[in-house]
Parts: sequence; C-alpha cells; structure tokens
Amino acid sequence: MKNKNEVWIGVEQLNNDPVLNELSNQEFAGPEDGLQITEKTLELGSSRRDFLKFLGFSLGAATLAASCDIPVRRAIPYVIKPDTIVPGVATYYASSFVQGGDYCAVLVKTREGRPIKIEGNSLSTITKGATSARAQASVLSLYDTNRFPQAGTMEDGKFRKISWEDLDKAVTGALNPKDEIRILANTLMSPTGQQAIEEFQAKYPNTKVVMYDAVSSSAMLEANAQTLGTQSIPDYHFDKADVIVSFGADFLGTWISPIEYAAQYAVNRKVNPEHPKMSRHIQVESHLSMTGSNADNRVLIKPSEMGAAIATLYNELAALNGATSVSAPSLNDKAKAALKKAAADLNAAKGKALVVSGSNNIGEQVLVNAINALLDSYGQTIDFTRASMQRKGTDGAIQGLIREMGAGAINAVFVMGANPAFDLPNADAFKEAFAKVPMKVSFANIPDETTALCNFVAPAHHYLESWGDVEPKRGLYSLIQPTIAPLFKTRQAEESLLRWAGSPNLKLDSDQPYFEYLRWNWQQKMFPKQSRFATFQIFWDSTLHDGVFEVPSDAGAVSFQGDVADAASKVSKPSGSELEIAFFETVNQGAGQYAHNPWLQEMPDPVARTVWGNYLAIPIFWDGSNEWQAFKGLNKEEAKGKADIVEVDVNGSTQRVTCVRQFGQPEGGVALALGYGRQIVGQAGKNVGVNVYPWCSIDANGNTQYYATSVSVSDRVEVENDFACVQYHHTMGVKGTDPKTNEVINVDEKTVMTLGAGYQGGLTDRTIIYQANLKEVEELVEHIHEKREEAKELNEKTLYPFDKYTENLYSQGHHWGMHIDLNACTGCGACQVACVAENNVPVVGKKEVSRHHEMTWLRIDRYFYGDYENPNVVYQPMMCQHCDNAPCENVCPVAATNHSSEGLNQMTYNRCIGTRYCANNCPYKVRRFNWLDYTTADIFPANEYAINGEDLVFGSDNLTRMVLNPDVTVRSRGVIEKCSFCVQRIQEGKLTAKKEGRSLRDGDIKTACQTACPTGAITFGDLNNEEAELNKKLKEELNYRVLEEINTQASVNYSARINNRDEAIS
Amino acid sequence: MSAVVSPIREPLIEGGKSYHQISEDLCSPTERTPSLAWVAAFMVAVTFLAVYVFCVFWTIWQGIGTWNLNRTIGWGWDITNFVWWIGIGHAGTLISAILLLFRQRWRTGVNRAAEAMTIFAVMCAGQFPLIHMGRLWLGFFIFPYPNTRGPLWVNFNSPLLWDVFAISTYFTVSLLFWYSGLVPDLATIRDRAKGLRRKIYNFFSFGWTGKAKHWQRFESLALVLAGLSTPLVLSVHTIVSFDFATSVIPGWHTTIFPPYFVAGAVFSGFAMVQTLMVMTRKVLKLEQYITLNHIDSMNKIILVTGSIVGVAYLTELFIAWYSGYIYEQFAFYNRVMGPYYWSYIGMMTCNVISPQLFWSAKIRRSLFWTFFMSIFVNIGMWFERFVIIATTLARDYLPSSWSYYVPTWVEIGLFLGTLGLFFTLYLIFVRVAPVVAVAEVKQILKAAGDQYAGKQSHKATADAHHH
Repeated sequence: MKNKNEVWIGVEQLNNDPVLNELSNQEFAGPEDGLQITEKTLELGSSRRDFLKFLGFSLGAATLAASCDIPVRRAIPYVIKPDTIVPGVATYYASSFVQGGDYCAVLVKTREGRPIKIEGNSLSTITKGATSARAQASVLSLYDTNRFPQAGTMEDGKFRKISWEDLDKAVTGALNPKDEIRILANTLMSPTGQQAIEEFQAKYPNTKVVMYDAVSSSAMLEANAQTLGTQSIPDYHFDKADVIVSFGADFLGTWISPIEYAAQYAVNRKVNPEHPKMSRHIQVESHLSMTGSNADNRVLIKPSEMGAAIATLYNELAALNGATSVSAPSLNDKAKAALKKAAADLNAAKGKALVVSGSNNIGEQVLVNAINALLDSYGQTIDFTRASMQRKGTDGAIQGLIREMGAGAINAVFVMGANPAFDLPNADAFKEAFAKVPMKVSFANIPDETTALCNFVAPAHHYLESWGDVEPKRGLYSLIQPTIAPLFKTRQAEESLLRWAGSPNLKLDSDQPYFEYLRWNWQQKMFPKQSRFATFQIFWDSTLHDGVFEVPSDAGAVSFQGDVADAASKVSKPSGSELEIAFFETVNQGAGQYAHNPWLQEMPDPVARTVWGNYLAIPIFWDGSNEWQAFKGLNKEEAKGKADIVEVDVNGSTQRVTCVRQFGQPEGGVALALGYGRQIVGQAGKNVGVNVYPWCSIDANGNTQYYATSVSVSDRVEVENDFACVQYHHTMGVKGTDPKTNEVINVDEKTVMTLGAGYQGGLTDRTIIYQANLKEVEELVEHIHEKREEAKELNEKTLYPFDKYTENLYSQGHHWGMHIDLNACTGCGACQVACVAENNVPVVGKKEVSRHHEMTWLRIDRYFYGDYENPNVVYQPMMCQHCDNAPCENVCPVAATNHSSEGLNQMTYNRCIGTRYCANNCPYKVRRFNWLDYTTADIFPANEYAINGEDLVFGSDNLTRMVLNPDVTVRSRGVIEKCSFCVQRIQEGKLTAKKEGRSLRDGDIKTACQTACPTGAITFGDLNNEEAELNKKLKEELNYRVLEEINTQASVNYSARINNRDEAIS
Repeated sequence: MSAVVSPIREPLIEGGKSYHQISEDLCSPTERTPSLAWVAAFMVAVTFLAVYVFCVFWTIWQGIGTWNLNRTIGWGWDITNFVWWIGIGHAGTLISAILLLFRQRWRTGVNRAAEAMTIFAVMCAGQFPLIHMGRLWLGFFIFPYPNTRGPLWVNFNSPLLWDVFAISTYFTVSLLFWYSGLVPDLATIRDRAKGLRRKIYNFFSFGWTGKAKHWQRFESLALVLAGLSTPLVLSVHTIVSFDFATSVIPGWHTTIFPPYFVAGAVFSGFAMVQTLMVMTRKVLKLEQYITLNHIDSMNKIILVTGSIVGVAYLTELFIAWYSGYIYEQFAFYNRVMGPYYWSYIGMMTCNVISPQLFWSAKIRRSLFWTFFMSIFVNIGMWFERFVIIATTLARDYLPSSWSYYVPTWVEIGLFLGTLGLFFTLYLIFVRVAPVVAVAEVKQILKAAGDQYAGKQSHKATADAHHH
C-alpha cells in the first residue's frame, strides 16, 4: 500500500475507485446513487483494517442478533374505548364456577378485559362469598397452553384440526334418528343445558344421559331413594348441629359442597371464652382426612370396618331409643367403646345431631339414614327443601353403559366433561367397550384419557368464556357469563348439541347463539317464577348482575322408611386382613380433573403437606423409646427430606409409591390419594403420582368402593430424592403413655434425645400455638395472659423499649393488622391459592419444592398435639407478620425491606441484592427467595426452569402470563419476596375512598386470603380504627401473637385453638 | 563461617548463617527453575481454580438455586466458607502486628508467609459475600455512594454493611503491611537479578536503595501499620460475629460471639500457618529459618486458643440451660442431638479435644503431629462455622419450617475452588517473593563475632551458667 504520506478516507479513495470518484463529484448524492455494488467493489482486496472492521462489525452484530432478543412490547391505546374497560381499574362479573358437581358462585375480576382472579359472590346463599382452592385456581386453567385450539379429529390419540363446519357435517352425517346415543357426563346441574339435551333427545329419541361421579355418592342417592323417597342429596345444616358424627365424609374438604359446609361448621366452632360452647365433631375414618383433622375425636377403623362401625352406632342408638337392633359385624374394641360414647353424645343432642357418611355402600347409607331418623335429624339438621343437585351420578349408570357398549348396542357417545377412561375402577373394561362405539365425540377442552379414544373433539369453552346457568340446590339458580371472548376456536357443548339437533330455538345468525338460547330459556322458565321484575329485560339484567336467582322451594318433609335388618346384612364386612388401604379424594386434585392445574398441584395437601404427587400414608408408632417408628421401619430419614419408595401390591397389581409418615392412621391401615397418575392431561400434570383407580373395586350393587383389603407393601425398593413435602416436623407436644412408668409424657420432648434422627423430637412449650380443651378455656385464658405479660416485661427490659421510641410512629393514619381465628381455620387452602393468584406467586415444581424452594407467601402450618396415636390437629395460616419491630428490616444492608408509615413491612424488589439475611433472621420463616428464574423474567431464556419436564416452560408463554395480576410486580431471579398484606388492595381501597371523598371504612379493604376463606377465619383491618372488627377481635381473651417475647411487635394476631374432645371416647 | 550457639538462649535462626547465606537461601527459590513438586502442586491448584471459575459462572448464570440452600436455611456452605477463610486470615496480621508490638522477634521467620496467607485467605473469604448474592450485578448497592435515588443510602444498621467496611479495611491494611514489608526484599532480589526481571523488581521495590532514611521510614511505617492492624485483628471477626449475634435466631443471638469468634479465628489462622509452614520449610528447605521453635510457639497459641473456644462452647451450653428459654435450649439440643450431630461431634473433637495433645512438648515439636493437627483444627473450625450457621438455621422457632440441607456439587466446587484460588496465589507468591522476610531475619541474626572467640569464650559462658 502506498499510503505513506497521504491522507485518505477509506480504501476506496486509496484505490482510486471510480464509483467513489463519481460520487465525490456529486455533492448531493442520493442514497440510490451511492454504495452501488459493482464488479469493481466486489473485487477489492481486503486490508488488515478492513479485516478488523469486518471482524468488529460481525462480532458486534452477531452478539446483538444472537443474544439480545428483547421482545418488542407494544402498548396500543384504544381507538374506540369500550365503556366497560378503564385501564387500571378492575371490573367484576358475577358468574359460577362449575366443574362436575363442584360449584361456587363467583365474581370474576377482570383487568383490561382479561379474567385474573376469582372472588366469592356474597349474594349466593350457598357459598356466601366464600371460595375453595379449586375455584381460586380455575382462572389459571383458562390460560392453559394445552387447550385444544379448535375442533378436530382424533386418530390413535393424535389430534388433527378440522373446521367446525366439517365437524358438524361429520357428526350429523353419522347420526341416525334411531341411533342409540349416550351423553356421558359427571353431574350436570344446568337447567338450560338440560333443555338443550331435551331438544337433542327430541331429534334423536334414543338419546340418554349417563351421569356418574368420579368420587361417587351413588349409594347415598340410592339409599335416599329407597328409604326417604327421593333420589337426591339432602340439604345439611352443620350450623344447627351440636354433635356431628361423620363416617368418612370429608365434608370440609371434598364431600359434595365443602365450601357451604365449612361455613356452617365454623358457626359452632368459634369459641367465645365468656360463653364457652361449641359443637362436638367425631370422625370415624380409616385415614386422616382434612375433616378428620378438624374433628374433636377420631375413631380409627380399618376401611372394611366401616359397615361394622355404622351398624354398631345404629345398635347403640337403637338400644337407647328402644328400636330393634341389627346384627353388626365385629368391630375393634376401641372403636366399639368410642362409638358407645358417641351414641350417648348424639342421643343427648337429639334434634341437634347430625350423622353423615361418605360411604358408597347402600346398606351403610340406609343405616345412616336410620340413625338420623332415630336422632330426629330430618327436618332439623337435614332436609330436602333445598336438596342438593351437586351429586346426581350413579355408578350403576356408567356400569350399565359399559355393558351396553360392550354389547355393541350403542351408536354414539358424547363425552361431556367426564373422564371414565381414567377414573373408573374398571377403566380398562370401559376402554374396551368404548372402542366398539362407532361415533365418539368429546367436548373436553384439554386432552384427557377418554378424549384420546374418541373420533372427534368438539372442544367446549372454559367456563370463563361460557354462557350458562346452574342449579346447585333446588330452586337456587346461578348464572355463568363469559368474562373474555373465547381464546381459541371453541364452542359450548350445549350449542354443539343444539346445532346437531337442528334446534329451531338456536339463533344461528346471532353473534352468540347460546346466549340467545339461554335468555330465551330463562324467559320461558325462570321469568315466570318471580314477580319482582315486570319485564324480562330488567329481570335478566338484575339477575346477571347479581349472578344468582332464588325461588322458593316447595319440597315437603321426608320420613324414613326402610328395612334396617336388610341394610345391615349388606354393609361391608371386616376383612380380617392385616393390612388394608384406603383411597381418598384430596382437596386439591379431586378425582384427577384438576391435575392439569399447576397451582393446585403445588398447593400442599392440607394433611400430608405434600405436593406434586400422592404419597402412601403410613402409620407411626412409639414404643416408649427415644425414637419414633413407622410402618415397616420406612421413611427413617424423612426429617432429612428422604422418603422411601415401596412396591404396593393390591389384588395382584403392583405400583411403586413414595411413602409419607402420617399421624392418625389406624394400625394396619395405609392410605393413598385418588386422582393422581394422569397420563394424558397436558404436560404440567402428566405422570404426577400414581393412579389408584384400578385398585378400587365395585361392590355387588355396582358401586365403587374406595378401599382394598388384599394389599401388601414391600420394604424399601428405592429412595425418593425428590420428596416434595413442605413440612418435615409435625408435632407440637404429642403425648403418650410411657410403657415403663405408665405415666403420660410428652413424646416430642422424649424423642428429642434420638441422636441424629430428630424425627418429631422437639421442646414444645413454644409460644406459637396455644390450644386447650373446651373445659380448660379458663386456664388457657390465664395461661395466655401470663405468657403475654411475661413477654411484655421482657420486651420492656431492652435498652430501647419499643413503646418508648416508636409508640407514636403508627398512631396517625392507618396501621394495618390482621387477626386469624385458629378455631375457624379448617386448613382447606383456599387462602393459599388465592394468594398465589393475587400476588403472581410463581410455581416451582416438584423438584424445587423437594428442596424447600416453594414460593408461597401464605402457608398453612399443621401441627399435631394431644394423644400421639390419635392426635388433634391445629392449622395455622402463616404469612408475613408485618412486625413493627421487624428483625428482617434492620439486617438488610441495602434497606430493601423497610417499614411503611402504615405499619407495613415492605419489600422493595428493585433494591434487593439477595443476601437472604432477612430470610434467615425472620423468626416466622415467611420470606421467600427466587432461587432460579421461576417467573421466566430473565431476558435470556437459557436458564428457564421447567416445573414438570415440559417443553414449553410453564409461565413462559404469553397465554399463561395473561393470568398475572398487573398490579403486582413479577419478581425476578435473586430477590426476596413475601406477603405484602395485599398492598395493592390497600392502595385501591384508599384511592376509591379518596375519589368518593370519604374516609376509609372498616371492611373496605380485604386481603385476598380473607375473601377466599369459607369460614371467615381471617380479619384484616386498621388497628387505629377503634370501631374496626379487627380491634374487637384483638380484645378477646384468646388472642395472642406468635413469639411475642422476642419483641417483633407482630401485626398479625391469632386466637387460640379450642377442641371439644371427649377424653372418654379415645 | 558459622555462629556460635548460645546454650542459654536458643538462636532464632539455626545453622550459623551469615548475611549472605540468608540472602542466598531465601531469594534463591524465586530464581531457580521451579521444582517438580512446585509444578505438580501448581497444576493441581490451578485445576481447582478452574473448577471455581466454572462454579461461579454456573451460580451466576443459573441462580443461587444451583445451591441447595432453601427457604429455611438461607446461608450454608457459602457463609461457612466465608467465615472460615476470614478466620484463617487472622493469623498473619496477628503475627505481624501484635507480635511486633510485643517484640516477639521469633515472628520474623514466619510473618511473611503468614501475612501472604492472610491476604489470600481474605481474598478467598471475600468471594463468598459476593457470589452468595442473588443479584451480584447489583452488588454495588452495598456501597454508600451518592446517587440519584433520593439519595438512597445503605442501611447502616445492618451487620452485613459493617462487614463490608470491616473486611475491606482489614484487607487494605493487611495488604499494605505485607507489601511494605516486602519492599526491601524485592529490592534484594532486584539487586541479584538481571534484564527484564531486574526492571520488574525495580518497579515493585519502589526504588528502594537501603538508605538509612529508607530504613527509618520503613520501621516507622511498620509500627504505624502494626498499631492500625492490632485493633483490626480483634474487630474484623468481632464484626463478622455480629452477623449472627445481632440477629434474633436462637443459637446466633449471643453476646459471647465476639471473643469466641476472635479466639476461633486466631486458632484456625495459626493452624493454617502451620499447615503451610510445615510444607514450605520442607519444600523450600527453610528448616533453619522456620525452626521447630517456631512450630512449638505456634502450637502453644493453638493450644491456648483451642481451649478458649472450648470454654466458649461449654459456656454456650451452660447459658442455654441457664436461660430457661426454650428456643435457646432447643437450639443446643439440636446441635448436639439433632440431624447435624456429626458436625457438632466433629467440631468438639477437632477443636477442643485434640489440641489438648499439645500439652506435651514432644507432640508440639513433632512435625508429623503438627501437620496432622493443623489439618484437624482447620476441619474442626470449618465444622464450627457450619454448626453455627446451617445447623442453627435448620431448626429455629417454628417447627413447621424446619429443614435439612446438604450441599450441591456447585457448593462443594466453590469451596474446593477457593482452596485452588488460595494455593494458586500462594504458590505464585513463593515463586516471586521471599517466603521469609529477608531483611527482618537479618535483624535477628546473631552475628556479634562470637565465632572468633573460640572455645574459651564458649567455656566461660558455660561456666558462668553453672555458677
């Protein structure tokens, strides 16, 4: 290069490039003139400088292109703003959550047109504004990425999209008016849906509806039909009962209408020390259910002893009332004695007693009815005026269908939300018979085992996209309205049926044909039932606004008429088997219909505190030594997060199951939850746990029995390293009789001396839980008073007494606080899921929970106390205590967590650098750290964490992210987070009050956990408002603060747990 | 030319060295080709360092979730390692500063290496507070710098902030102390070197010419820095102990922590010095500079400090019982009997019981025992920090939240990796600077010309001793 003394611009000049020369002559060269690539320019040799330039550019460009894939996010304002949507302001629509027989009247909170949260509808006389975990989580399933995008065909389990027109043609073309058609469903409660089915039946007269329930109340319906003359579930009044005996009915958790029953139950469980009175609840069961955990007394039986137990109670009551006794199978002595006492308690409370049973044996249910008749319960604690419609299915129906299909007698089956290929004991028989049906259409909106066997999929809307109505109890109606336009090309099942029936009442030319149909039906059927509104339009608008519509019911009284001796002969007989297994429904998974919902998968089972799977509950023993023993010596290292995997053999079929040690199990009884082990359910729920349906059996009456007697459990075959249990230590002072001295001792404190194992050993006089028997309330009040005085004295001894220096800090304005009534809390977990939904709490999956990386802001601690063999349970919702003298605040080096002027302990995510010192120093251990990129918030997707091995990482898709609450920051990896007392709700309440030019009223602001709670256990309010409900509760004598003596000045208060245990019973 | 050995007072340097021999002996390791042992050790150390770099990368890329810490146990191996390294980093300054002030002249044989060890240990320690942060890239928030966020200042109430100041001050002063001591020796090497090597050493010796004025300033600076360092030796670990003592967690919240931590730090620091000295004197053939007397003296300190921590452990147990406070009592039940009982046993055995062997002079002067025990003590002190940190957190107030923790490969890799970092630095150090302070050793060389007096003088002295 000859550029030694020249000044040059670029290679072109140096090479005397003709293009450049020409360009330099044109002063205003247009872009089209410049930079023309010619032969000449291409031939130019590259110099070292060029090389470096190219290198630099390509490196830079490659880096930019490869890594900085920052998605373009557009915020486009409305051209024409819909008048119902104000950006930043939530709109609520009344609707109803329905899933099979599960029902909840809800308000759907929508933001900018998308549903993000479920609240209870307080206008409903059934659920009274409460919700359940299932209802709370239902909003997530709307945004499930596994949903069918449109109609399709199914061949060998492979889904192929087709248009709705093609589907309609295919279906109607295949149907003949004389065809035997079956609509296969779980309990259907929709009156208009019923109307649609009737229209379909008009076109295809041989159409029948086959209803069954995956966790069946079949025997009860049949027993009621036999002995009370009505095949329906009665209306129970737990609030009117002074003594409740439940034979395995999990009425607070899963049985029929738990939201309703929990609220009723709590009425008589909240204790006022001045008038100490509460109901007595005795649970007879073979595994520790959530309801059993709330009971005062539990009578432990093996599953096959249920019939004996019911017959024994009947006989005891018969003896007391001069009725004839029946022959009762033999029962273990302990249970026999307990039931004798229970009978006395029941009899003393005649008219205010209630006996319920979850049994699926007709004989047993008949005896239960006889017992209730002896106790004068009918008309008092049980009536049929508002009979429940929430369980209508019978096992006979589905078994009959299997026989018909197997005989080749059925031409078409429409599967409407049921999943019999999974949730039947004889699912294989179903599959075999189902294969013989030529036309199978599923209305499911996400894949399931049954849909995979169909020919066509006509995916229905999610309920949040649907129109509909529901009659959960006689004469109590509730509407379902869409809160978002359908996300996928789906169509309501009822509309599909009406189209195929060619219904003249379905206006196909309207925008929403089924909406018009619903209105039409209501105009025909509902409008005449009322006289309040003169025109249908006003009636409709008002009802849609309220969500519920109630008309009087005229059903009369019932009386018991039945053959108890015959019934007693039909009850289950004790098997005499050494080991039996009980199968039960869990609060979060149901019969598997909720398996695709990660919020519910990650909600700990209230009793076992395990997540993401079903674990074999094995009994625990203590022989007076320093160490707890478990069934077959299993799970020795549970306190270290290791569990054993065993092979469970039931009737010759074997599955591998992980164990969990469980207090309150009968000796010789193990238990395992239903509804797990789904195979076709979308990726998040796939292969979680094991399916126990094949292990259930069918009795002589065709009813499914949820236990097995021929069972064997192997020794450990493998170690489970991902034992996802959020609580390793469960006891708070369980007591037992030392076999050597015959003294009752604190086994917790005894077993603290086990070197190394430390399973359930601990010093237990902790200021965390206060509990007592109802008879000892006075002593308890005194004890709490003493402890609190002691704490106060200690707290004043410091050099910097809190009161002296900070008393006035929060005396102005608001000072937020909370009260939780441990007597009302049943542990159902609705609050926990509500908190997850409200606060964008991430889901982390089984592996992460097994490492104790769960992110829940609110957890429900569960402690056992009392008799170690048959302990009582207390649930303690635990969230940030918003300490006014918070240990977390002073240790943060960067002041990322601090105190607001309103007494809130605030977490500033932006400032947090993640030293975790605050979490260490939190005595309540409520702070949660974002260990990995759980929220997929990092720019680089390389470290996104799949919760269950899914390809599309949960939460990374924009569809799933639509569920996020825009008022709450999504936290990134490496920061601490925790309960904020729903600060966004506080802010919203204050702004609303301000806009309305008034001061804030008590009850204006409710936290998410508070609104979700079915029993009203949680009260939030302003401590500075003397009139507030909160302050009334704080003045009660059972009120205390957890760990008051360490001077944290917590803002959350609890009231002590009282039980009404009858020591004579066990 | 060899010095006469006094029968009354053992000489601090054996072998009757002359000044020149000292220079030769101490500077030559930097001048000759590294031995095979050094090369092998260096390769091992660098391999571990590579593991460290990978584990740090992995932690930052994936998140702290690559560790097994959890909602209950927020600190585990990370902070255990931090406190352990900080503790090790105590001996150097103690030897340099406190022994200088106490005019313990035997220190000159070991102070250079001990100070180097201090610096490297503090460097290793400093890694952990950084990488344990969830968002390291925002770690600068921890410095009180003027900013546009209000300004938003750091939280001066937080012991973690005190740590930042305490450790950075300690590191700075230790580094200055070490380096200022190195200057005359670097000049000595410079004087012996040629070419580029000479230029480099010239730069690093700051133009030292050995003028009287230089020496005078050197001595003054040494005294000033010793005066500054002495309180630091006590304050650093006191403040580190505040991380725990100011918390509300039973087992952490105790007033005994500051003296207990300082004693423990000196204990572990001396043990690490022993580990290194026993190896260094052998490999670099410095037996006559780092003598058995040194080893004996340091073993005495290990015995004393080991007994102090032993008393502290027992005091804790007593106070837990005496407090009548159930959480405190349980914290210690849990340490002794709980799932981590083995770490408590390890701590007690290594820290309290085994150092009692040093009551025997024979064991104190045995190289085998010394080396063995120094490793033991370091293991014990690691356990002590693990017991205090992880065991305590695992089971505190609410039984519902109790948990258990074992490290992942990343956490183990980070610990082994800092050992790699430490030894890499130390091995480089022994190659580039005299591992024994040449100039200072020369000050204690007894070279009064005794050798010229012959046997008479020797006899006379012996007689005087007899009468």
